[in-house]
Parts: sequence; C-alpha cells; structure tokens
Amino acid sequence: MTYQSTLVEPPMLRLRPALQGAVAILPLCLAVLPWGILAGSMAIQSGMTGAEGLGMSAIVFAGASQLVAMGMIKSGAGLLAILVSTFFVTAQHFLYGLRLRECIAPLPLRWRVVLAFLLTDELFALTGNQGPARFNRWYALGAGLAFYLCWFFATLLGVIAASSVSNLDSYGLDFSIAATFIAIVVPMIRNLPVLACVLTALVLSIGLHHYQVPGALIITTVAAMVVGLLCSRGQA
Amino acid sequence: MIWLTIVLMGVIVFFNRYCFLAPSLPVRLSQRMRTLLGFSVPAVLTAICGPIIAFNGDEWRALPENPYLWAAVFAVVLAFFLRNMLAVVVLSMLMFTLLRALF
Repeated sequence: MTYQSTLVEPPMLRLRPALQGAVAILPLCLAVLPWGILAGSMAIQSGMTGAEGLGMSAIVFAGASQLVAMGMIKSGAGLLAILVSTFFVTAQHFLYGLRLRECIAPLPLRWRVVLAFLLTDELFALTGNQGPARFNRWYALGAGLAFYLCWFFATLLGVIAASSVSNLDSYGLDFSIAATFIAIVVPMIRNLPVLACVLTALVLSIGLHHYQVPGALIITTVAAMVVGLLCSRGQA
Repeated sequence: MIWLTIVLMGVIVFFNRYCFLAPSLPVRLSQRMRTLLGFSVPAVLTAICGPIIAFNGDEWRALPENPYLWAAVFAVVLAFFLRNMLAVVVLSMLMFTLLRALF
C-alpha cells in the first residue's frame, strides 16, 4: 500500500472543488429535506427530547437506520436489538468502502476518518462512479459537509414542526428520496446488465421487505450486483 | 440510556463506513470484483427505493391508487428523457403532491 505524501494544495485547489462538491449535492440536499424533517418529528413522537433527536442526526448521520431505531425505541425494544438492526440496516456501507477503497484508503488518517463519517448513501451516489482518476478529496469533503449541515437543519425543522403540525409522517415526505434515487439510477441504465441488476434489486427489495427478512437491503444489493455481473459476462 | 444508544449506533455506523477504507486491511480487488462493485450504485439505490414505493411501514400501499407508484413511474419516464436530476426531482415531487390530492 503506497501512502500519498500529504500534498499541500494552494487554497484555490481546495476551495473550488469543495464548492463544486457542495453545489453538486444540492439536489440531494433538497430531496433529503423532507426525510430530515420526518426524522426530527419521529424523534419527538417516539418520546425522545429535541436534543436527543438532533444528537442522533449529528452523531449517527444515517437516515434509514435512525428511522428504524426510533421506531424500535417507541415500541420499547432493547439496546442490543437496536444495535443489531443498525448494523444490518447500514451494512451497504461495507460495499461503499470497498468501492471507494482505491480513492480513500491511500489518504492520511484524518481524511479517511472524516470522509468515512460523511459517507452516506447520497455521497456515495455522487462519488461512487468517479474512480481514482477523477476522485477529488476536497470535492467529496465539500459535498459531504454540505449534506451533513442540510441533514442537521432538516432534523431541527422536524423537531420544531413536530410540536405544531401533527401526523407529519402521513404527508408522504419519504417520496422525495425515491424520486432522487430514480433520477440518479435511470441515466445509469445504458446496457442490459445494469437493467437486469436494477430489475432484480426492485423485485427482490419488495419481496424481502414483504417477508420482513433481516438485512434485506444488503442481501438485495449483493444479489442484484451478482446478477449484473453474470449478465455482463455473457456480453463481454 | 437514549444517549448511550445514540453513541453506540454512531460507533456501529462509523465502523461499517470505515471498515473497508482502512489501508491496513489486506484487500486486493480482482478485475471481476471491480466489475461486480461497478453495479453497487444502481443496485443499492434501487433496493432503497423499492420498499418506499410499495410499502407503508409493513403494509402494502393500496393499488391502484398508490401515488408513490405512479409518481415513481412518472419519475422514471422523466429521468429517461430529461437528464437533469434537479428537474426530475422537483417535477416528480409536484406530480406526487398532485396525485396525493387526487386519490
């Protein structure tokens, strides 16, 4: 493993890509706003204080697992059960790490720690297909930080709104994230293997959710990737 | 107790995120593995979408008056012709709101 020497870039080479990253993730920030509001209001509904709701968004910073955990806290689940489900609900991050390994592993420790902390589904959606040649740490940092701030403030909005608007979860706030991911995935479908991969993921995710299989997300993801690989073998 | 839960959740999520980014982990990616990982973005994003569209918590969303489904179909068609993420997100959210008012 070769370590990149810590190059000191001139300010322009840091600020510009960081700003570009922040701008590139703006549509995803917009889409996560309703989700963050949902997370904030769910926290209040599940009996947590506003500070705890905000703390969860600031420390855990993983929307799906936060919503699951708050549902479990509300229903009185034990600590261990919550932690096990957190592990499975966020297991797709192993794949993100593997995929971005060539880009991030050679960086100094503080970069790895910060970028790993900021590595959400959304940041991965933005940087996952860049590859080592195009990957820019400042771009990823700018995007990740912008998204983090947005998530935090959306949660804050949700915490505030929870006391004035009732039944926030009946407004369909979760559709925004589906719309965003569709907008990202559809342009990627340029050949049969990707199409097969996407269709597998769609059918399997719905089927496994129906039967409440634990770790459904990671099982679905890996299976869909394998289908994609098998189909591309036939082509190549 | 809640704070302990939050901190431990944070530790687990960070572990999952950092795990394969650690250079000390002896992982060499073969060409096949790279091809496989190339499918990770569409696979995981679709796998997140599916249940949102089809389920309300543990229950199936009613068919055919499921605004999630038709707005998602609308988003797919829109994204196919209009390769602008922001426009697709905004327009399909508008369509979603419209459908919700309708059903």
